[in-house]
Amino acid sequence: MSEAKETENEAQTEAPPAVDTVTLTIDGVEVTVDKGTNIIEAAKKAGNTISAFCYHPGLEVVAVCRQCLVSVEGAPKLTPACQGIASDGMVVHTTDEASSDARRQLLEYTLLNHPVDCPICDKAGECTLQKHYFDHDNKGSRLDVPKVRKPKRVDLGPDIVLDAERCILCTRCIRVCDEVAGEHQLEISHRGDHSELGTAPGKRLDNPYSINTVDVCPVGALTSKDYRFTMRAWELMSTPSTCNGCSTGCNIEIHHRGGRTFRLIPRENPEVNKHWMCDEGRFTYHSLTEKRLVGPLVGGMPSNWKRATDAAAAKIKEALEADAGSVGVVFSPHRTNEENYVLAKLVKNGLKVDRLYMGGAAPAPDRADDILRKADKSPNRAGVKAILGDIEVGGLAVLEDDILGGDLKALIVLGHELSLGGEALAKAAELDCLVVIADHELGLAAKAHVTLPVPAWAENTGSVTNFQGRVQRMQSAYDAVGLARPGWRIFADLATALDSKMTYESAEAVFNEMKSAVPAFSDAEWGRDLPPVQLRFAHSRG
Amino acid sequence: MSELKTLILGRKNVDDPDDTDGMPNDLMTVNMGPSHPAMHGTIRIELTLDGERVVEADINPGYLHRGFEKESEHATYTQVFPYTDRLNYVSPMINNVGWALAVEKLMGITELPPRLNYIRVMISELSRITDHLTCVGASAMELGAFAPFLFLVKVREWIYELLEELSGARLTHSYVRVGGVSHDLTPDFCERVTDILDRMDGVLDEAKGLLNGNKIFYGRMAGVGVFSKEDAIAYGLGGPCLRACGVDYDVRKDHPYLNYDQFEFDVPVGTSGDCLDRYLVRLEEIRQSTHILRQCVAQIPEGPVMVDDPRCVMPDKSETYNTIEGMIRHFKHIVDGVRVDPGEAYTFIEGGNGELGFFIVADGTGRPWKAYCRSPSFINLQTVTKTISGRLISDIVPIFGMINMIGGECDK
Repeated sequence: MSEAKETENEAQTEAPPAVDTVTLTIDGVEVTVDKGTNIIEAAKKAGNTISAFCYHPGLEVVAVCRQCLVSVEGAPKLTPACQGIASDGMVVHTTDEASSDARRQLLEYTLLNHPVDCPICDKAGECTLQKHYFDHDNKGSRLDVPKVRKPKRVDLGPDIVLDAERCILCTRCIRVCDEVAGEHQLEISHRGDHSELGTAPGKRLDNPYSINTVDVCPVGALTSKDYRFTMRAWELMSTPSTCNGCSTGCNIEIHHRGGRTFRLIPRENPEVNKHWMCDEGRFTYHSLTEKRLVGPLVGGMPSNWKRATDAAAAKIKEALEADAGSVGVVFSPHRTNEENYVLAKLVKNGLKVDRLYMGGAAPAPDRADDILRKADKSPNRAGVKAILGDIEVGGLAVLEDDILGGDLKALIVLGHELSLGGEALAKAAELDCLVVIADHELGLAAKAHVTLPVPAWAENTGSVTNFQGRVQRMQSAYDAVGLARPGWRIFADLATALDSKMTYESAEAVFNEMKSAVPAFSDAEWGRDLPPVQLRFAHSRG
Repeated sequence: MSELKTLILGRKNVDDPDDTDGMPNDLMTVNMGPSHPAMHGTIRIELTLDGERVVEADINPGYLHRGFEKESEHATYTQVFPYTDRLNYVSPMINNVGWALAVEKLMGITELPPRLNYIRVMISELSRITDHLTCVGASAMELGAFAPFLFLVKVREWIYELLEELSGARLTHSYVRVGGVSHDLTPDFCERVTDILDRMDGVLDEAKGLLNGNKIFYGRMAGVGVFSKEDAIAYGLGGPCLRACGVDYDVRKDHPYLNYDQFEFDVPVGTSGDCLDRYLVRLEEIRQSTHILRQCVAQIPEGPVMVDDPRCVMPDKSETYNTIEGMIRHFKHIVDGVRVDPGEAYTFIEGGNGELGFFIVADGTGRPWKAYCRSPSFINLQTVTKTISGRLISDIVPIFGMINMIGGECDK
């Protein structure tokens, strides 16, 4: 992960702002933090995790759970570490008797009416309550009266179900709706042990960021209908990647097992998505298993790579010889920088055509907001633009006109997302030569003379550039389906078949070449390859 | 006479510089193992032979590499017990105990219930007996004495049956847990131990009668594989092989663990450091182990067999099913593993073949960040190069047998 050039330069020219710092001691460890930092964050810096339920670094502090009580020397009572602001010379103890007792007692209270649900609870294994109990209490039950019963399945909205018994009333979800989505949709009603979470009067939990409430829920009270009962969390493997849903490029974790994705979870990046992502982005993984192209097709029939590549090369050669001016190439803002770069290189060295188009899905202005969602549903438009530089490319409208006008005789298309009108689509299928490189058998990919399969985004390794110009890595979570090959390899093979030899070892090799060839990438770093980690041992995320 | 010698040894007559006829003059390289009856545990020795004499021996272990250490990094502390069973698989209980002690040291559990100590000592000593019985029996068989092997393995089988009754598995017991053992002894365990020990004495006498006065056995063992006291210490040798060299060192005596300091037993020590001494030391150790076992049977108290520490003890079933506290603890034990704070610990105990050590680095999760096993077989194996160089091929068999290399432990 790295920043693009502009951002880096900006940081260099700006003088570092003078920040006031304070120094305090936490459990005997001296730590210096910025003024205004709370004790929890200061302790984190000192390598000490203070247990908490209601505190979330991305949300307003409310100090309702009292789980983070610590002793501050000189203070008459225990102080909530989330609300206590670090000051100079402060001495904090988190392991003394008073705060240990407070933690233990609070946990006993929290567990009083908690149902014995772990075996059927989706949060089990990544549950903050389980973690804190095991770390800080671990004592038996002293309850001798029946537990308070509450509704077990409350339909809060299109994507979320509430189990009110499991809820520990931390109010994180309420704050997510208020502060992230900007819509007040959840509330706590009643008092004492009858307190219950529910929707605000006349509201439903239907904001476009609603599933973030499930992520922040420290227990299994809120569950996503999409993920609920599909997989035990600790069995999942986690691969860091970048969301391909729109040009924001939210940092995500792909949670998968056995070559199948089960959910997408936001990964913290203060510069891009903070702790959040939108619901629509989370559901993009469904398409990974629908209508996939598993092998090369020639004339709609299954083929192998050698034949398909030769057939594609022959078709293209024929079209070039007939009239090089009528051959067009469509780039894809949905595919990685590496793939588009090698395609651009193929155009420059092998095809030598100048009818270039920018493909991709049509923008959806109605989904745009000023939080995370963008109208541009392609993750890499900025990257493709940077690669093509000064070269003139036509948009979707130009492409449609050219197809309908009959100027185009041959088309090489990257990506199935290309959104054309019905008439243009039908006309495109009648071109003399149509070669499509795509991961799904949709749109033009289903009508081409030769179709070559590439890995879908979760299976692909490469980089994408978001709307800020930030180059971000995508990691392959598991092997691509069927015979799919990375696009850069396909284009290199095509170039070789068209007598302008190209070979690349890996996406990283393409990236390194691109780094020296394209100015926008000169500051970007490929970074480390991060292998999948099993969530079982990755601690609680809550 | 010199002619005859040349033919027998199949080599150049070194006394005669003009000797050009007969057998080839060159040194010969021969692979012994990894699939060879005497190379139990799949070991390969690359022998450079001058006739039948070993000039150089290059020992190549690793054919049974199980990746114990790496495997442990991907299992919870409790899930490692089955892996330790497969280290020295003729004395698995000792390995179980060693691993448990290492994890307990990491967790700061020093005080174990008295009954637990006795149980762990008993199963360790029973395992030590099976280990020595196997070594002595198998080595005798390799030298042509088949009957003692059958006698000794018969006794081993009695003990295996007893341990199977206790743990449910004949060989891969996994009986020990962090902080205790999985369950209490079977009701008649102590009586059965006494019964086996009584019957074993007779069988041992029988086997000894066949071996100790046997001229062939003596001829193959005495003076073969001699290793000096200084070398033994320098090589880090352990167990019966070390004591046969005359070093009076036994972890149970010198660094007592469990409650070994409460028992009366002697540490047999050899004088010449040859294969015969190793054999005699092992026989005596079997006798000393029976001595310890009889004391255990007489003294074992009633009481709990697990420490009272929620970090490593699973809650009762009724508590698990009926309270959220028990449920969470049970869940955490199974899914995340027992709670071990960050740190590192090394423990060593007296294994069947020497000092068995476990070194663990913990990072605060439920599984070891790094686990290292100081496997006595691996360390003892180093000496073989030295002891077989210059000897005849036939000497490899007793030397290798008495080192008692166990593949699962050596290759880890």
